[in-house]
Amino acid sequence: MRESKHLKTPLGLSVGREWLASGLAICALGLLAGFIAVPILSLIVWTVNEEAWGAMASPVAREALSLSMRTTAATMVILVVVGTPAAYVLARGTFRGSRALNTLVELPIVLPPSAAGIALLLAFSRLGLVGEYLNAFGITLSFTTVAVVMAEVFIAAPFYLRQAATGFAEVDRTIEEAALVDGADRTAVFLRVTVPLAFPALVAGAVTAWARALGEFGATIIFAGNLRGITQTIPLAIYSEFQSNIDAAVALSVLVLGFAFAVILSVRYLSRRAVEYRH
Amino acid sequence: MTLLRGKASVDLRNVCSPALVVLVLVIVLAGCGSSGSNSGGGNGGSGEGGGQQGGTLTILAASSLTDAFAELGKIFEQQNPGTTVKSSLGASSELLAQIQQGAPADVFASAAQEEMNSAVKDGLVAGKPEIFVKNREIIMVPKNNPANIKGLEDFSKPNVKLVLAAKDVPAADYALEILGKANKEYGAGFKQEVLSNVVSREADVRASVNRVVLGDADATFGYKSDYTPDIRDKVNVITIPPNLTIIATYPIAALKDAKEPGLAKKWVDLVTSKEGQKVLKKWNFEPAAD
Repeated sequence: MRESKHLKTPLGLSVGREWLASGLAICALGLLAGFIAVPILSLIVWTVNEEAWGAMASPVAREALSLSMRTTAATMVILVVVGTPAAYVLARGTFRGSRALNTLVELPIVLPPSAAGIALLLAFSRLGLVGEYLNAFGITLSFTTVAVVMAEVFIAAPFYLRQAATGFAEVDRTIEEAALVDGADRTAVFLRVTVPLAFPALVAGAVTAWARALGEFGATIIFAGNLRGITQTIPLAIYSEFQSNIDAAVALSVLVLGFAFAVILSVRYLSRRAVEYRH
Repeated sequence: MTLLRGKASVDLRNVCSPALVVLVLVIVLAGCGSSGSNSGGGNGGSGEGGGQQGGTLTILAASSLTDAFAELGKIFEQQNPGTTVKSSLGASSELLAQIQQGAPADVFASAAQEEMNSAVKDGLVAGKPEIFVKNREIIMVPKNNPANIKGLEDFSKPNVKLVLAAKDVPAADYALEILGKANKEYGAGFKQEVLSNVVSREADVRASVNRVVLGDADATFGYKSDYTPDIRDKVNVITIPPNLTIIATYPIAALKDAKEPGLAKKWVDLVTSKEGQKVLKKWNFEPAAD
């Protein structure tokens, strides 16, 4: 439709306008790309000039890196095991309150992480709404690694749930029903048909959620506290080191930058493989 | 990510004309914005020349000064009609890092000499810093005192949840100094045992006090001035023996790159004046002269 409309306009004017428009659009892209590239470059320039590479291997960096890896791994296991079936119910279930539930589950995306941290604190700290009862059983959560994982799950869960639910919603129901008719039980259909078909969306959701968990700062520092090796993840270490040792803060930032790169590249590769596999 | 790209492939031409409109708008607005801020800067400059009508004074101050400086800010705004006092409060070490990175500010008030000395050494301070007030380190515990702490010596008991301010924050530096002295009193290994009880290092002294206010931590080091009226129903204070305690000295100075050097000087004058000292005393600080 649009194509034919374009052809009807006087050729010269249309071509000229299109040139101008695409020129400006390319400028816009260049501006934004530069805006993102310059700060990233500055991190590397500083590291090279100040010879801050050594700080990457400092005990603070290694402990923070190891803690971030362990907590985000735990977060991802929880999200995949609990989040996948939950997302399926959200995508397929039309029950009373399902819309309210959808809104509730997406709330942490919009909530500032620091507000999430206060909320977690008031719920699970020693004098908190739930924490008080946990404390009676001898369970304290604040200042523990478990609290870090809780903060990460709270913040990252909606990102996985939302993309996984969208993926499930796009799976053609007739394929599932055909498999059911063929005699497969519901669990088998879910695992063998639905999950493979929604797989790219699940991977995309998992990666976004993981990235969000890795970058989690506000909720973690407020709810879990800040102690090396126990609750000081990479973002907290960057913040803490900034006050005393800028070299270390920069080196840690470069380290995470490297990670981000590796993740984006491997996701590109994996999703291409997944798409090839489906065809 | 990549996976979403398939769905998002839109005909470029459909996007271009709205994109063009948006772009032109952005450019026009950006132009307005920059010229606007330029003229704003010009106004500020001329205001300064014309007998200091208005202007914004930006103060970087140790977080323990939160309440006292808020009250002094109101007095300052009354004394200098049209001026606005903006305070950025945090750990002195963090504020120093911000100044070193070129944060625009007029006055720096530190909770320790060390940070001010670094600022002087880096040539960031105008004139000589003045000690304007003193403060005393104390112990704070939650009202119900779950770890049953009666004095500093109890800090080494197993399973005490102790919170400290972050590394290099003056309140934490002072605390470590106190623990070092206590080592001689309570036996070697005391400091080490206490440090193994630390469960979190907070951004600044007020953040670590808040951990006790919320009842999550069993104890923390704070300043006498942090025991503000609004937390008195939640927190108990335990004094540190006089031979072990540390008196914190607070220096203040105008900054070299101050946009409002006149106002900066007036602020330092107010803080060191009789009236200013009275306000500081009200918030549990001790006069610099003692």
